[in-house]
Amino acid sequence: MKVGAFYNPHLGRELAQASGIDHLAMADPPRADDPWWPKIKARYTLLLHDYLGQLSEPLDERSIQRARSLAELYHTPWVAEHFQCLHTEDGAYNLNYVFPPLYTEDFLARFVANANALKARLDQPLVMENIPGFFDVRHSQMAEPVWLRRFFEATQVGFLLDLPHVWLEAHYRGLQPDAWLAEFPLEHVVELHVAGVTEDPDLHGPWIAPAEPSDEMLAFAARAVARCPRARAVTLDAFSPGLGADVLLRSVGRIRAALS
Amino acid sequence: MNDRALQDLVIRALADAPFRRSPEWRQRALADPDRVEQFARFLARHYYFERIVHFFKYSAALSGITGRRPEAVLGQPSFDALRPALVLGSRDSARTVAALVVAHVKSGRPSAPIPYHADLLRYEESMMVVEAGPRVWRERENGERKTDDAAPQTVAGTELLDLTYDLPTVLPQLLRPWTAVPEAPVRPVRLIIARSRYGRVAVAKATDAIVSIMDLADGRKTLEDLAREAGLRPAELQATLQGLTELGAVRFSTGS
Repeated sequence: MKVGAFYNPHLGRELAQASGIDHLAMADPPRADDPWWPKIKARYTLLLHDYLGQLSEPLDERSIQRARSLAELYHTPWVAEHFQCLHTEDGAYNLNYVFPPLYTEDFLARFVANANALKARLDQPLVMENIPGFFDVRHSQMAEPVWLRRFFEATQVGFLLDLPHVWLEAHYRGLQPDAWLAEFPLEHVVELHVAGVTEDPDLHGPWIAPAEPSDEMLAFAARAVARCPRARAVTLDAFSPGLGADVLLRSVGRIRAALS
Repeated sequence: MNDRALQDLVIRALADAPFRRSPEWRQRALADPDRVEQFARFLARHYYFERIVHFFKYSAALSGITGRRPEAVLGQPSFDALRPALVLGSRDSARTVAALVVAHVKSGRPSAPIPYHADLLRYEESMMVVEAGPRVWRERENGERKTDDAAPQTVAGTELLDLTYDLPTVLPQLLRPWTAVPEAPVRPVRLIIARSRYGRVAVAKATDAIVSIMDLADGRKTLEDLAREAGLRPAELQATLQGLTELGAVRFSTGS
């Protein structure tokens, strides 16, 4: 199992020299003035994990060409996108943060069609990441894991399982994380995300943060990986200008130890 | 209402605080209102944190001198007081939040003089305001195309900014390591700040030709009208319009 992190440009120096990191996920294209980028590119397997577009609508040609060009730049083994619908169709409102679609037949059909169309235009496999809901929308017609299972069966794309997202949903639903995880289509998982959570003042509860994963989260990750037969990589999902090199490097080491 | 329209309603409710209080939203009872409010507050803080960190990065670089980190304003009661009126992405909300940041940074007592500080804050504030507004996320199949008879029009929200100091010379220095506050020459400059249809904000020095076109391009005047009224030769007009279009300051109205 490969263990990696996100490329945080402000930690370029440390990441260019670090050991024990197998891959780096790229949330943004490299800046032209990033002095560490050539070394990073030469040294690491890079995973494309940028915002390509929301698959509630078909990606336009410009977005597809951007995805193709980034995939080529990184030599990425797979291309990641999210199950998100965060801006209105007319562009008037934008949450600027991942937000899940309604779990309905209509949205399932949209995501299946648009993911299949994107997959056909990529030279690498597509993987899709689950997004946490902080509240349920009453109009939804099925539970998220059922919707995801049907999506993966219809598209045969890979599953990027974000474990803190599952953990948070379980927390806010009052469920055991392992029980909630068991509902998800784990046989499709290619990559897993692990991250820390901290108390958020607005949510009055835990949420994803650029912090070290707790022992509980690492143990959860170890149990999850054991249930994902096709998983190839685990990535520390921390990307923030406030993230310290010590936190990133220690977290990757602890993930590796937890999985060994 | 189809599912996509309903999703848009949920997105709007999360982005638009006054809409969350409206009967149109509340009567639908689509979700637990307390949870929606909590998540909306979380999103608002996140939304403006990202923008303040990005647009006020020069003020952040000077925070060792001013004693004020721009994003600290998000933890203050003054930001909480704004929340009931905030609409993420609106220009009015961007203007209000940016003004709050400016007031917060100005309230510090710099340990060394920063002669161009007022100019810098106006520049950063303008950048944040210009970035706000609806944007194009995906091109339609038959997207906008420039036609020969199209009339240029200044894009709403584009700003011209007159500064006392030549800020563009000092901005890159502020982001590099420094011990003494980098200096900016006292030299009046006029900048144009514009946003592309895709939301990218760009800045350029404004020439007299640019200022004339910005004044005159109303979507009705033809290229000949513009050239005559601005006193520009056709080649000069063409080059200036091309630059302004790439910047996002001008687009061509086809009348459709």
